[in-house]
Amino acid sequence: MAGQAPRDPTGGDEVAPSSTGDPPISLYSSHRPRLRGRAGSTASAVSTVVVVGAIVLVLSSKSAGPFRNGFLDLHQMWIALVGDPSKGIVSVGKGFFLNIWLSLLCEVLVLVLALGVATLRLTRGPVLLPFRGLAIAYTDFARGVPVILVMLWIGFGVPSLNLGSISSQSPVVYAGFVLVFSYTAYVSEVYRAGILSVPQAQVQAARSLGLSSRTTLRRVVLPQAVRNVLPALLNDFASLQKDTAIVSTLGVAEAVHSAQIAGGVEFNYSGFTMASILFLLVTIPLTRYTDHVMARDRTRRLASATT
Amino acid sequence: MRPITFGPVALLAPAVVLGLAASTSSGAAVATQGATRTAAIARVVSTAPYPSLASCRTTVTRETRTKGVLTVATDNPVYTPWFVDNTPSNGKGYESAVAYDVASLLGFPRSKVKWVTESFDASYAPGPKAFDFDINEVSVTPDRARAVTFSISYYDTTQSIVALRSDAIVHKHTPEELRQYLYGDQIGTTGLAYIDDHLHPTRAARVYNTLPEAVQALQTHQVDAVVVDTPDGQYMASSEVKGGVQVGQFPSTGEHYGLLFAKGNPLVSCVDSALEVMTRNGTLASLSKRYLRAYTSIPVLKP
Repeated sequence: MAGQAPRDPTGGDEVAPSSTGDPPISLYSSHRPRLRGRAGSTASAVSTVVVVGAIVLVLSSKSAGPFRNGFLDLHQMWIALVGDPSKGIVSVGKGFFLNIWLSLLCEVLVLVLALGVATLRLTRGPVLLPFRGLAIAYTDFARGVPVILVMLWIGFGVPSLNLGSISSQSPVVYAGFVLVFSYTAYVSEVYRAGILSVPQAQVQAARSLGLSSRTTLRRVVLPQAVRNVLPALLNDFASLQKDTAIVSTLGVAEAVHSAQIAGGVEFNYSGFTMASILFLLVTIPLTRYTDHVMARDRTRRLASATT
Repeated sequence: MRPITFGPVALLAPAVVLGLAASTSSGAAVATQGATRTAAIARVVSTAPYPSLASCRTTVTRETRTKGVLTVATDNPVYTPWFVDNTPSNGKGYESAVAYDVASLLGFPRSKVKWVTESFDASYAPGPKAFDFDINEVSVTPDRARAVTFSISYYDTTQSIVALRSDAIVHKHTPEELRQYLYGDQIGTTGLAYIDDHLHPTRAARVYNTLPEAVQALQTHQVDAVVVDTPDGQYMASSEVKGGVQVGQFPSTGEHYGLLFAKGNPLVSCVDSALEVMTRNGTLASLSKRYLRAYTSIPVLKP
């Protein structure tokens, strides 16, 4: 990027300035040329006031009273957050920890297993044909069935199989298994797309240098593949993090189920608002980080292309 | 009381929907209701005098959602003994019969009663309702009464003892003997409150976070008995607890199921009149004798 105009602090200007000197145009809002001057700031101030004002107006209107009482009651949100054992209300905050550690644990397993599935699907050897078939059948199935159905199947079906310790696990274990099962399929497809996006010439070059096909995969293809799909992987992670809420179908007191319990006791939905806030506290920074990684990666690649 | 915990028992209900479990036991619905846990139960209902049924018949048709039609909501699926064959409109089952009798007293013929589906979680949504009242084994509590309006009782719930067949409590349960046992229960339940307030055991009850944990403790002889809602207890003793038996029930302390109305719905006063008449003339008693035998036949113990 040497010799270019000062960098946009948001990590923009990934498109090299054209010869006419116009600012670069990007699809991403944070990289659009900024409106400058009084006209610009007035316009943004007015539109902000209008939008925020409209939201405040709707929520504070008399007719929204039941909504405010039912969903935005601060006292109820607090009760849901910390719980009230004397009424049998379990803490949404405590439940949310389960969402967090479960998603982290599952993500690690998913990243490892999905890479295996993706590489298996891309193998060519005749011996591996049945395994390739299985891998394809698995991804088709796991991606084609709603996670909640798999959750119900495994969560209620496995305990009824009477398979000793396999059938007597905590619902959290089944839920973790289902999340890993479903997300491995998605993520393996992301990996596969990434691997296929690496030009064939790279492989040919590596092989002609004498690298084995395994080393080529590990040292040449995968590093580029993963870099290409990093935003998609982070995206799936955010999605996995949210989908831990499906564990509630198995009666595990994670954040959503805890909010449901509080709702049933108090006849008030503010616990759901509390749970939403907790999820946003995690997913929004994660999304921003994904954006940041995307921008950084684009900058890097363009930099390497121009030097 | 409606879903509050979903223990393994409650998991049955969705499993039934999936076709993974073989049978829909009569208790599945009861089980989904989990345990009740308001320590302080008060009659959060309007008090007499109720308007006369004659005057109600002229006013109610104007107060219903759809003029001349009484719209009644319940969940889907619903279970015996509250409904029969998952068909609220067949008039069978305790709650279906109560709904039709209330309607008839208010001047609505059977054809003018319309059933709609409302899940428990949706029944207390703020704002206008899609029904005149909801009948769904909802326990009346002061907390809940802040969000909705309840009718007077159409079913008084009682607490009952569940133990293992081999336990001493099955045969020895005079008030004095009941004090000697070690009880277990879920935190925050009315069952636990009942143990503390009425049984006064010599050893403090063991308190568990979930009902399944308490059941586990009973099963493994860590406690002598648990105290739960009679409908829950009936299901536990018949299906969930191996070798379980419902030893007996205690006189009601006023905890009850009520019909659920939108907050401030004026229709409630006429429905209360109807329920009051049904209590007085023995309609509720005979319906409960007909449909709730499994609960009413359990011997009543003196605490």
